[in-house]
This record gives sequence, C-alpha cells and structure tokens, in this order.
Amino acid sequence: MENRLRLLRAERSWSQQDLAEKLEVSRQSVNAIETGKYDPSLPLAFRIAELFNLAIEEIFVSPASRSSGAI
Amino acid sequence: MFGARWSDFTPAQRAHTRRVLWLLLIYVIVLPPLVWMRANTAVAGYIPALMGIAASLPVLGIFASWGRYLSDERDEYHQTLTLRRNAIATNATMGAAVVWGFLQAFGAMPLVEAYWVPFVWVVIQGMFGCAGAFARGSKEG
Repeated sequence: MENRLRLLRAERSWSQQDLAEKLEVSRQSVNAIETGKYDPSLPLAFRIAELFNLAIEEIFVSPASRSSGAI
Repeated sequence: MFGARWSDFTPAQRAHTRRVLWLLLIYVIVLPPLVWMRANTAVAGYIPALMGIAASLPVLGIFASWGRYLSDERDEYHQTLTLRRNAIATNATMGAAVVWGFLQAFGAMPLVEAYWVPFVWVVIQGMFGCAGAFARGSKEG
C-alpha cells in the first residue's frame, strides 16, 4: 500500500530510527511500511496517524481509490 | 550488505536467540556421551528410552522457545515475517516428509530417522530467515 510516511518523516527531519522509537516498533518495520512491503495493522496505522496529527487516509493511499483514479 | 546486526534485533528476538544458543550448547554437550553410551555399553530396560528423551529435550526446548518468541514479540512486522517463515517451513517439511515416506514405502528411498524432520524444518526456516535478512539489508544499504 502506498503511503506518505517517508515524506512526513523527512519534513520533520526524523530518521527511520527516530520514528521507530516514537512508534515503539523496529526500524525494519518503519522501512517496510515506507517501501510498501508491509501494510501496518489498524492499531499501528492509528498510532502513525496520531503521531502526525493526520487522518489515516491522509497518510495511506487506499488501493481501491488509487486504481479507480479517485486520488 | 547483510543487515542483520544484534542492535537491529527486537528484545524478543534477542531473548529467543540467547535461549536457542544455550539450548544448542546443552544439546552439543549432552548428545555425544549418549551416543557413545548407546554404542559402547549394554543399556537395557527403560534406560534407552530415558536416553532418547534426554537427547530430544534441548530440541523440544528450541520449539518451545519459538512459541515463546511469537508470544513475546511486540513488533507486528517481525511477528508476521516469523509466522510466514514458519508456515513455509512447515509446508515444505511436511511435503518432503510425505513424499519421502511414500518413496520409502515403495522401496525407492532408504529409511531415514524421524528426528531429521524437525532438523529439515529448522534448516528451511533458517534459510528463509537469512534470505529475508539479506534482501532487506541489500535494499536498505
């Protein structure tokens, strides 16, 4: 699933390790989510959204809406 | 390059690795004297059964450690990777055991001791773990 996590992290000058510590996950998890290799669970997606003060859909791109051209 | 550094391990992975290394050490210490006793002494009665159980206990401990790891792991990504690896290793090992069993039954393959089945499971699991760590390390630079 595509997402804006890398961009949001870069805007705050956080390293993957910084973000991992804030989310209480491993650096590999952050890397896997950023590169779209792993889709986080709903609780983790909420933690990410709350950390950036954004809605989940402002961070993660729905595959359905992307394929239909809605976004 | 290979990206699996000790500092990259989650606390649950570090604890599991420590447990497995201790159990392997016990296995390496316990097995040779048991094998020697079996080959060179006249053990009888319930002693061979006890020896077999003693040899298998460290390996049982390793499987128990896997269960404990999956329960302790708080990082959902690593938990998912481990579950996927375990599922692949289980399917491949069971498949190989079934094929070998029938080949053996039809006389096409020799008898293989059953304790090789978990050994194959651990090897397949480790291979996928190393391949995954290598792939992640290469992509992360």
